[in-house]
Formats: sequence, C-alpha cells, structure tokens
Amino acid sequence: MEDFFGSFGTLLASTIRNATPLIFAALGGMFSERSGVVNIALEGLMLISAFAGVVGASLSGSALVGLATGLAAGLLFALIHALMCVTFEADQIISGTAINLLALGGTGFLMVEIFGSGGTSPRVSGFKEVPIPLLSDIPVIGTALFNQSLLVYLMYLLIPITYLAVFRTPFGLRLRATGEVPEAVDTAGVSVWRMRYYGVALSGLLAACGGVYLSMGILSAFTENMTGGRGFIALAALIFGRWNPIGAAAAALLFGFALAVTFQVPQEVIPLEFIQMLPYILTIVVLVGFGGRAIAPAAIGKPYRKE
Amino acid sequence: MSEERREPEGTRSPAFRRFVGDTVGALAFPLIAIVISFLIGAVIMLATGNNPLTAFGALFRGAFGDPLAIGRTLLTATPLIFTGLAVAVAFRAGLFNIGGEGQFFIGAITAAWLGVSLGSLGPLGMALALLGCALTGFLWGAIPGFLKAYFGAHEVITTIMLNFVATYLATYLALNPLRSEGLVPGTATIDLGARIPFIGLGLGRANYGLLLALVAAVVVYLLLWRTRRGFEIRAVGLSPGAANYAGMRIGLNTVLALAIGGSLAALGGGEEVLGVYGKMSIPFVYNIGFNGIGVALLGRNHPVGVVLGAILFGGLASGAQEMQFSTDVPLQLADVLLAVILLLVTATKLVELIVGKRARALAGTRLEGGL
Repeated sequence: MEDFFGSFGTLLASTIRNATPLIFAALGGMFSERSGVVNIALEGLMLISAFAGVVGASLSGSALVGLATGLAAGLLFALIHALMCVTFEADQIISGTAINLLALGGTGFLMVEIFGSGGTSPRVSGFKEVPIPLLSDIPVIGTALFNQSLLVYLMYLLIPITYLAVFRTPFGLRLRATGEVPEAVDTAGVSVWRMRYYGVALSGLLAACGGVYLSMGILSAFTENMTGGRGFIALAALIFGRWNPIGAAAAALLFGFALAVTFQVPQEVIPLEFIQMLPYILTIVVLVGFGGRAIAPAAIGKPYRKE
Repeated sequence: MSEERREPEGTRSPAFRRFVGDTVGALAFPLIAIVISFLIGAVIMLATGNNPLTAFGALFRGAFGDPLAIGRTLLTATPLIFTGLAVAVAFRAGLFNIGGEGQFFIGAITAAWLGVSLGSLGPLGMALALLGCALTGFLWGAIPGFLKAYFGAHEVITTIMLNFVATYLATYLALNPLRSEGLVPGTATIDLGARIPFIGLGLGRANYGLLLALVAAVVVYLLLWRTRRGFEIRAVGLSPGAANYAGMRIGLNTVLALAIGGSLAALGGGEEVLGVYGKMSIPFVYNIGFNGIGVALLGRNHPVGVVLGAILFGGLASGAQEMQFSTDVPLQLADVLLAVILLLVTATKLVELIVGKRARALAGTRLEGGL
C-alpha cells in the first residue's frame, strides 16, 4: 500500500506538471476563440515564449526576467496573429499554421544566432519548486499538488479567475458576444476589432506562461520543437471542455495524465513508440467521442467587416 | 499591357478582362507575400550584421545558378509537389489537411518495406512499391476524413494528431521489424535496380520522381476539373449546403478528398525513399509535409500553382545551403522566409491596401469551421 501511494503521488505530481502548460494554453485559447478568432497558433506561441524565456533568463540570470521576455514574445506573436486575422482578414487557420511554422523556423534560426548551434540551449536558472507550508504536508497529494513551481500555483489561480472574467464581468459578456453575434456588439457601440485584439492578446500571454513553464519550470533549457504538439492538445482540451475554463482545465488534466503515463510505462511491456503515441490517440478519441457535439462560438473563423 | 492600354475602353472583351483580372489576382497575393517576406529577410540579415545583397545573391546562385543547383532545387521540389497537392485536393473540398507530414512518413515506410522485399524484381518492384505507398497513404488519409464525416471531429486537429502517430509508427517499424544490421539505424537498403533512376543532364541527383510528381499534378487537375467526382469535391468545398441539396454525398467526398491527399503525400515519401535515400533511416527527413501547406497556399491550391510553389520552396531550401556556406546567415532563415510568405499569402486586406479594392473579389480560398 505504501508503494501504491508513493507511485500514485509521483504520477499525480507528473500529471500536474504535464497538464500545467496545457491548461495555460487552453485558457488562452478560450479567450481568443470566445472572441471569434481560431487560435491554432497556440503551439507556436508556446514555442516562441519558451525560447524567449530562456534567452531572457540566460542574459539576465533571473527566471523572472525570463518570464517577462517570454510573455513579451507571446504577446508580440499573438498580436501578429491578430493583425493578420482581424485587420488583414487572413484565413485564421492558415495564419495560425504560419505562426507555428514561423515559431519553429524562427527559434531554429535564433538558436544558431544567439547560442551558436541548434538543438538544446545552455541551461538557465528556472523556476524551482516552492512548497506551500501546511498544504504540502498533506499525505500523498500534498507534495504532488503543493510542492510545485510558482507557475503551477499561478495556473491554479487562473482557472477560477478566468471563469469569473468570462462569465461574470462586463468584459466577459462583450467577449462572448463578439464571438457569437459581432453585429450586435457593434450596434451596441463596442468595437469588435478591439475585443478580438484583447482576446488574441490574452491568449498570447497565457500560452506564453505555458511555454515558459515548459522550458523553465519542467526543464531549465530550450530544446528545438520542445512543445511537441502540446498547443494542439490544448486546443483539443478546449473543445472537449466546451470552451469553458473549468471544462478545459479538466480535459487538460486528462491529457496531462496521458502524458505522465508515457513516462511511467515500462518499455519492456509496450514498445516506446506506442507509449509515445498515447496522448495523441487519446486526443483523437476524445474529439471523436465529444467533438461533434461541442458547439463552437457562432462567429468563429469569420473576419468582421463593417459595411 | 501597353498594347492593351491603347484600345478604347469599350472594345476589350469581358472574357479577356476577366482573364487578365484573374491572372493579376492569382499572382498578386503570392508575389506581394514573397516581396514582403524577402524585405523582412533583408532586415533580419542587416540586424544580424550581414549584407542582404551578398546573402540573397548566394541564395539565388545556390538555387538556380548552374545545372547542379537547378538539379538540387528540383530534387527538393519533387516531394513538395506531392505534399502540396495533398493539401490542395483537400482544400478544394473545404478541408485543411495538415496531415501531410504523417502521410509522407506512412509512404516512406511502405516504400522502404516493399522496396526491400520486392527489390529483386527491379523496376517492377519499384512500381509495386509506389503503388503500395499510394494505397497505404489512401487508407491513412481516409481516417481523418472518416472521423470528420461521421463523428464531426475537426480534421485540423485529427490530422495533426495523426502526424505524431504516423511518425512514431514509422519509427517503430523502421527500428524493429524492418531494422537492418548496420551503423545507421533504419531499414535495409533497396537494390539499385528497384530505385527511381536519375534524370542525368548534369542535374545531379534529381530523379524521375519529378516526372511522376508532374504527372500527379496533371492527374489532380484532370480529376478536379474534368470529372464528375472532382466537380462534387469542389462543390462540397464551395457550398456544402448546396452540394447536399443537389444530392451529393458530403461524407463520401470528404473521405475521398482526404484519402486522395493521403495517397499523394505518401507518394512523396515513397519518392524520397526510392529515389533519394534508398532506405528509411531514423531520423528521417522532416517538415516536407508541413511545407506542403505553404506550397499549396502559395499556389492557390491549383496544380500549376503547386508546382511553381514547390520550385520556389525548393529553390529557397537549396539556395539557403549556399547562403550559409558563403555568408554567415544560418540556413534556418529560409524557414522564416517561408513562414512569413505563408502568413501573408491569405491576408486579403493587406493586398487590398496595396493593389486596391479589386483584390476583395480575387481573395483566396477561405476556410471556415468550428475550431
């Protein structure tokens, strides 16, 4: 029994660590998609911020500066996405794909320019675990939940905050209306474009938290293409969670669990490659089971043009 | 153009004007995207202490400077024509196939398996291996089509997820059941007799896979614009509601468009194994499927455009090596340029700002959906 609880605790801790970047990105994606802008750029936004965070931390020696540079990079690239989708009326899925490729190519290019070679960056000071007094002493789950880095605690706080912001504030009402009936928002004198810029910008900041956590919370270095599809998994979590912060977070936890399991299954039992497929297959299964019934914001994907 | 200007306004035929308009429109988006992307590239080069003129000179020399360079460009362009067509066919059905990467890997592992097993048959073995690629690619590509048509799972996410599944699956097969003795991990090498032969003509390693790719482009054109099936696929893409009302089966056409795309991308993987590497080693070549998206969008999802787009991408990729060799600019800059082109290529309003209001009517294909 001791052994079971021990490995349960490890698995739970690993689930939280794997789910954290997904939750950040899914919450971010929610702001963007609720405003009517598809954001498959989450993957690229995470990747570029993971890189920018490491660059910031490496130049300054401070993890907090790294977080700031990561947030700035996420915001910048999100604003490019907004500029393309909202102002220039580009196809949102294509713009997102381009941002993803830009992040992949750009980080590859900058790795060579800044660190001299591709692959993995030098180690930087990351976010260390900070145990919360008392809570971290709870048996079994205490260490798993409350001996994590500050970014994980930020994630805990952001789930209810996001929920309240979207469903209980005038801002949230306008945001949701912009994604459903932009004409009505426009008639009410609120700028559709501005709401969409806000939504996409918030998605950039939140995805950036996820990216920085990947490179500086789990690891302490940047590796090329280290997001490995997590942005897309986060998007699937968002759909599975019906564009609701709590639902999306719960779905992300499920995917985090699948990712955590991949590190725990002994390779002798199942070949490594099949274990690695698991989170992606799970994503498909979830979409097949629930995706069809999920109803997206009505005006999603359509540029808004005042006539 | 100057000939045309001398004519009085009324005598120009509407058909001719539409043709000129269409051509200008078709070229306006890609050209503006390319020019802006190169300007951004120049700024990046200046910012990193390089002379853009020297670097772009090297880029061009490496892409089209001599027959060997042209051969390299065509060699790089060949699989991109396949993966570009894979995106284009699906796009015509209103579907965004991001699964080219995985479909390419499925084709590559199929070609390595059949190429090695049937190598003793010579060219017949090669033909069978390519046929096998088309078949496995078709089946693999049909999966997201099926999931979309009957379960409503959005193809953008399922194709991306299937990319991971396919690359892991191909990696597993190449490293376990199909693994050969040897220093480089991967499958055994295919007999020379069963490889796709080189074109020669001083074009270096460019192979007849290029011819196959061009044939594929013609076939896609004929399929989409000269057959009933192609008409249905395009009708479903343009207006699912109307297509449904006309008695067309949306589900069937969705599955077919993605499956045909899968076949095409898999043939690209097969060409790389049978024509370029002679085996599937791990790690294999990456991003050919993803770059196919850029190729297709740059080519406005038309087979002719796809071929031109693939040659541009191929030129950038092979030119980037020369650029890295003779200047300090890392070859990854080519990826950045390609991404910027892709970012701008559907930016309707941007083109409208530059070439005027006419652009609105000429806007590229647009996807919509509940992501």
